[in-house]
Amino acid sequence: MTTATLSQPTSHRVLRNIGFLALPLIVIVWSLADPTLGREVLEWIPYLASGFMMNIVIAVLAMLLGTLVGALFGILQLVPYRLVRLPVVAYVQLFRNAPHLVLIFATTYIFPFEIVVFGHYLPFPDWIKAVIGLAIPASAYVAEITRGAILSIPTTQWEAAKGLGFSRGQALRWIILPQCLRRSLPPWMNVAASITMGTALASLVGVHELLHAATDASTAVRRLDFTIIAYLVVMAAFFLLCYPISRLTRRLEARFNAA
Amino acid sequence: MFAKTLTKAVFHLTLAVSALAATHASADSTLDRIKGRGALTVGVILSGAPFGYIDPKSQEQKGYNLDIAKALADDLGVKLETVTVTPPNRVQFLQQGKVDILIANMQYTEERAKVLDYVPTPYDRAGGAAVVRKDSGLKDWTDLKGKPVCVSQGSNYTQPLIETYGATVKALPSQPESLLALQGGNCVAAVHVGGTVALLLADRPEEWKDYAIPFPTELIPSDSVIWLRKGEKDTQAALDNSVKKLHASGKLIEFAKANRLLNTKYLEEEQKALSAAK
Amino acid sequence: MQDMSLTDLFVSLTNRIGLNYEFLATGYEAQIWRDGFITTLYLIALLIPVSLIAGLLFAACLTSGKIWLSAPVRGFIELTRNTPTLVQLMFSFLVLNTVVSNMLGGAQNNPLSPFFWVVAVVGLHIAALHAEAIRAGIEAVPASTVEAARGIGFSQLQILRYVEVPLAFRSSLPAIVNNLINLVKLTTVGNAIAVSEITYASIMVWTQRDNVVSLMIVILLFFSAINIIVARIGLWVERRLAVPGYGL
Repeated sequence: MTTATLSQPTSHRVLRNIGFLALPLIVIVWSLADPTLGREVLEWIPYLASGFMMNIVIAVLAMLLGTLVGALFGILQLVPYRLVRLPVVAYVQLFRNAPHLVLIFATTYIFPFEIVVFGHYLPFPDWIKAVIGLAIPASAYVAEITRGAILSIPTTQWEAAKGLGFSRGQALRWIILPQCLRRSLPPWMNVAASITMGTALASLVGVHELLHAATDASTAVRRLDFTIIAYLVVMAAFFLLCYPISRLTRRLEARFNAA
Repeated sequence: MFAKTLTKAVFHLTLAVSALAATHASADSTLDRIKGRGALTVGVILSGAPFGYIDPKSQEQKGYNLDIAKALADDLGVKLETVTVTPPNRVQFLQQGKVDILIANMQYTEERAKVLDYVPTPYDRAGGAAVVRKDSGLKDWTDLKGKPVCVSQGSNYTQPLIETYGATVKALPSQPESLLALQGGNCVAAVHVGGTVALLLADRPEEWKDYAIPFPTELIPSDSVIWLRKGEKDTQAALDNSVKKLHASGKLIEFAKANRLLNTKYLEEEQKALSAAK
Repeated sequence: MQDMSLTDLFVSLTNRIGLNYEFLATGYEAQIWRDGFITTLYLIALLIPVSLIAGLLFAACLTSGKIWLSAPVRGFIELTRNTPTLVQLMFSFLVLNTVVSNMLGGAQNNPLSPFFWVVAVVGLHIAALHAEAIRAGIEAVPASTVEAARGIGFSQLQILRYVEVPLAFRSSLPAIVNNLINLVKLTTVGNAIAVSEITYASIMVWTQRDNVVSLMIVILLFFSAINIIVARIGLWVERRLAVPGYGL
């Protein structure tokens, strides 16, 4: 499979690059062909960009939180104490199977709008609720990935490390974890891509992100062709962000499979 | 085994949630908080001119509802903060305390009055208007029986359309989607607050040339009021006083004219009544 | 009558632990909510075969070796994998649908409903994921097996039908089951274009009442139950189809 991807003829590569730039090209060509439309698009680009920044911020924070909690839960799923293991397993099962949209609705409408810490009112804005709403499924996926990665290392390696004079901690740090990381990187990146695209769902609960900004813009401009081009811009933005991630993921997968 | 853990988890979730609900109920003195923070947080809806929209030039929020919000904040001597709400989330935002009040195209209905309080003096009177294709042959609300009709999710027209007129209601996330769905032919009519759609048709005659608002009456014409959480009598009284002043001074008519509300008859009557009472 | 009193009992019991299901005793809200469950189940039942058939077709195009077949499919797969499904759905429903209406000479001739667009967008999105899994499976079939089949006189088509697809299907089954679980979860985006599935129905209820938590608990349990069933069936099929001695 690796040889197949590496030895693809140049025509494929050209085709792929054209495909990568197709959406932005449509937007640019159309804007140039109809200058009145182009001017509207240009006027709204900063507003849309501010929306897209929100998508990126939500995605990064949700993955950060999800990865920390998920890695911990993945290890806890393997501890020999039932009292610890069972609630964690239940959490992972429930939230791995729950639709992202439902979790975003849940966190937005159930959490309070501000929290009291030592008598101070701290605001608890929507976008942070969206971060939590997406971090919950992310942590459930990451927990499964972590568990799978740890289980995939043969126990003989622990013994071999011991034979070479490594302590248990040293073996974990220098032998087991590096292999786990390598194995779980591609699935982790798949989760990251899926969470990034999930940020668009936050528009349905009123977070000011790209899709929401595009709806605002088309309400204000009230032109059918502008609405179409606004959606194309949204698709182009997500595609330009996610496509390189997924290409990299596949390349890593291919390399690890070959190794 | 698994089922047992699950029930346990749900039980804990419920406990946590009821604890949250309890904290909501105790947070009441909103007026003090508004003054303490020096800001009035208003939930506004940006479903389009004249009530609320984003100005294409400055990309600021504008509209009749925004002008009222500003005037109320000025009258209370505090800053105005706005939060954009949509029909499906506005009641939740108010209940959670994310906004202090809602000025969001919400008319008085008995169901709403059960869960929320409202400022007794209305700031407008509005009903639903149906935008339909000119060649559809629809003449009145009763013609909608069994036909697909688009509204916004959480719209107060849903219930009368289903229960009184037997229409098949399709609720979309907000008004622009609903109107696009109408243009795409997914419903025979889109029902929204009369003022917004009338202005839209008047402003963009080219794009809407095949559409009209042909029904002779508005759907459940009722008072547009400011909504707040249950039991906040102080805030209610203060705002009622402010709204009355805005009526009496003719400010509301001024706002309406500036934002091109098409029908200001109600506001004029109210202005006469209230300035005479003074 | 029996049914009524059961509902009342449930409402009053849940009320005691702080949950609000009062709408179940009313008219149209309870009806919408019950229909919501049925619509979600119907969507899932329809989408599973649609996505599998389209996925097989896509995989066939991808591995055909003909660029005019594989390039458009590859393009579509990349587009659908790397843009949010919600945006694709809004675009299809609001833009493509209008284009179709204009081509057919007016909205009244357009037979495509929001339900159709959800099935099309979600079905093809999951089909793209299936196709990737099946393609990887076909490429993983050992060359020696294909050689052997050719040796005993199988044609190219017969090799695909009797050797590659059955083996590829088995090795890609875990990935396919995973995609089906995603499919179940994705049906919820339908609420954005007024398909009356369970989240849409719940929004209709909770915008008029204040009982998000009560509804949310039921929705989460409902989706968990469906996905546990899907995963179980997948595991059962996997065991049934396991090839003895073939290391899969």
